[in-house]
Amino acid sequence: MDAGPTNPSLTNDLHTQPMEIQMGPSHPSTHGTVKITLKLDGERILDSEVEVGYLHRGFEKECESGEWYQAIPYTDRLNYASPMINNVGYCLAAEKLFGVEAPPRAQYLRTIASELSRMADHFTCIGASALELAALTPFLYCVQAREQIYDLHESLCGARVTTNYVRIGGLQSDLQPGFAELCREKVAAALTLFGDVDELLTKNPIFRERMEGTGTLPADALIAYGVTGPLLRAAGVGFDVRRAEPYLVYDRLDFEVPVGSRGDNYDRYLVRFEELRQSARIIEQALRDLPDGPVDLDDPRFRWPAKGKVFNRMEELIDQFKLVTEGMRPPAGEVYQAVEGANGELGFYLVSNGTGKPWKCRCRAPSFSNTQALRDMIQGALLADVVPTFDMVNMIGGECDR
Amino acid sequence: MSDGEQAPSAAPAAEPAVLARLRVRFPDAIVGTHAYRGDATAEITPAALLDVCTFLRDDPGLRFDFLADVTAVDYLGSMPRFELVYHLRSIVQGHRVRVKTRVSEESPRVASVTSVWRGANWLERETYDMYGIVFEGHPDLRRIYLYEEFQGYPLRKDYPKEKRQPLVTVRDVAPEQGERTVAREQQRYGRWPD
Amino acid sequence: MASRVVTVERPPRLRAVDTMGPLLIVRGLLVTARHFFRNLFAFMRGRRTIATILYPEEKMAWSPAMRGMPVLVQMENGKERCVACGLCEWACPVDCITIYPAETADEIERYPEIFDIDMSRCMFCGFCEEACPEEAIVMSQRVAIATTEWRGSLWHKRDLLVPVHELDPRLRYIRRGYDRPDVPTPAQTAERLEKR
Repeated sequence: MDAGPTNPSLTNDLHTQPMEIQMGPSHPSTHGTVKITLKLDGERILDSEVEVGYLHRGFEKECESGEWYQAIPYTDRLNYASPMINNVGYCLAAEKLFGVEAPPRAQYLRTIASELSRMADHFTCIGASALELAALTPFLYCVQAREQIYDLHESLCGARVTTNYVRIGGLQSDLQPGFAELCREKVAAALTLFGDVDELLTKNPIFRERMEGTGTLPADALIAYGVTGPLLRAAGVGFDVRRAEPYLVYDRLDFEVPVGSRGDNYDRYLVRFEELRQSARIIEQALRDLPDGPVDLDDPRFRWPAKGKVFNRMEELIDQFKLVTEGMRPPAGEVYQAVEGANGELGFYLVSNGTGKPWKCRCRAPSFSNTQALRDMIQGALLADVVPTFDMVNMIGGECDR
Repeated sequence: MSDGEQAPSAAPAAEPAVLARLRVRFPDAIVGTHAYRGDATAEITPAALLDVCTFLRDDPGLRFDFLADVTAVDYLGSMPRFELVYHLRSIVQGHRVRVKTRVSEESPRVASVTSVWRGANWLERETYDMYGIVFEGHPDLRRIYLYEEFQGYPLRKDYPKEKRQPLVTVRDVAPEQGERTVAREQQRYGRWPD
Repeated sequence: MASRVVTVERPPRLRAVDTMGPLLIVRGLLVTARHFFRNLFAFMRGRRTIATILYPEEKMAWSPAMRGMPVLVQMENGKERCVACGLCEWACPVDCITIYPAETADEIERYPEIFDIDMSRCMFCGFCEEACPEEAIVMSQRVAIATTEWRGSLWHKRDLLVPVHELDPRLRYIRRGYDRPDVPTPAQTAERLEKR
């Protein structure tokens, strides 16, 4: 790196050496527990080392020691900013393994839930980024917008963050009456608030100066690092699992995949921004097309029977006891199912040996691969560029460290 | 386990194109293939891993430029105990493949694919951290989630879930610059009961 | 697929006039002032629009779906509805429930002698409620489980029992789903449950 002092006559006799500083694990301007050890020459970054693992909780080990359904609450805690998508990803993988499919109504509701969570995640990312670039107000508006989404989470499943909503072969519960109106109202309110964030941030020179041209990596380097999601799309690659390998009902919905032109942090911000609007469009279409019918699979091998039957009939009561204590038994085999998480491709690789417990439950976390590319993104940049780059990488500790 | 469920490999007509191509190119390295639930899977010999991966990335008809995941599965009790699993996707051509290879418990070593995909770096470190599989040729094979003093490999099936590890205390940032503080701290505060 | 990919529009490059202070400040202030006055007028009219809740004085209005801490349903005769079958214990992913069953000469002959929930482990996932074949453990709207010492987070049966009328909203919520083919109506189910 040619980052030496500009005037040699002044510094010839001066003894200088690169300075090593630690950023994190709990640094006020990084919204995630990660430690970045920086080697600096003045303000310029000569080298860096990104260290993760501060939030490692043994997700896979816990999943392996429980029944198949007992892993679902743990998936909430992967990317806690978009819990529904993790639920959906795990349950889709399990359904692929079991060879079953949830009823259409459940598919639509899962789509709505996923997109709500994606909105919540992008609100968090953009709000926190603004906060860390010293703009407090957009953060407050974003959090208020996110609260609207969490209200909808609560109406869907009864929890705001730790949702535990999707089940293998169905959903925890059907909609409450009046959800569609509530959803339209809350999403519109969230987007209105986000319009204010747009006004405050998008054309703000300070924000643009810090975002534009920083954190750039060419698309092929990003792919080589396994980076997906808004980061890759900002570099011009239109890879979106929802489009490339449609799951749920995404092939029936009309939405666009926004891509950027330069791949810098500003493009990443704009891509996330546009994805929010597209998510709102998807929710609107899914609400419009939402079919009637059951949300749960009527198959006592995989899905707990309906409660009303459990109270009144012997067979279903036996099924309930067997399913809870022994768990559902998939055929032996292995599957990999990818869904589009808020930060990229979220994949679950499940291995079954035919018993009620997963033999292996692996989560391919987008944040992990994305964080890995951080070192190259900030190489040779200024110290101040670490913050916007890290913000747009949007490393979520729970997902990265599992 | 997965062996029992593999589709009969004597049905190459229904085999996905990726696997047919691999079989032509590496007739000796392919141990078995299956496409359970539509996931094209090739099991190969560990010696051929690097060649197969390079071929998968560079072949113009395959172009697997995106390494989604590296992980291992511990089949405790079956003979080569560990199975390395690589999930690949071609961003350009839009297909996926899973490459698997078995390594034994006695010498859990396999070639690193960091030279093929840069993103394998952390994924292999994680697999090393959790399963103790050594990736030869990896530039920086250290534990990634756990701390250096951690004993054992937690995702192995013979590692008990409830096992407690001794607590470690303050560690010098640059250990070569002086004696490690762990011993000193332990002297001061006592050891965590094992 | 290619046609569905759109490139996001980048606003034009900054001009010198854009970076000049006063204009910027005014533009930002217009947004924040709009919020300020809207919230102020709404407050004066008695309809608050800010999201903040003044917690101990005000409580959040939960949705009926809200999953708070799990509690035991106490029937009108003062006894628990639980028959100590142990399904919630099985279903709990974090093993926070402990049940010791016992028998009586009552009509419902089994009951839990000990029913403990370790609230420091409970993650409010609701599997116990879903697994329960008796509607005996339900997720209430209680969330205040903080204690000053860790032993306080071990809740025993006498702390967990809640009279059935207090849990009415939740019971009505989870009984929504019973209106399915071949299933008695909620009224019938309730009547039958009451008869026991």
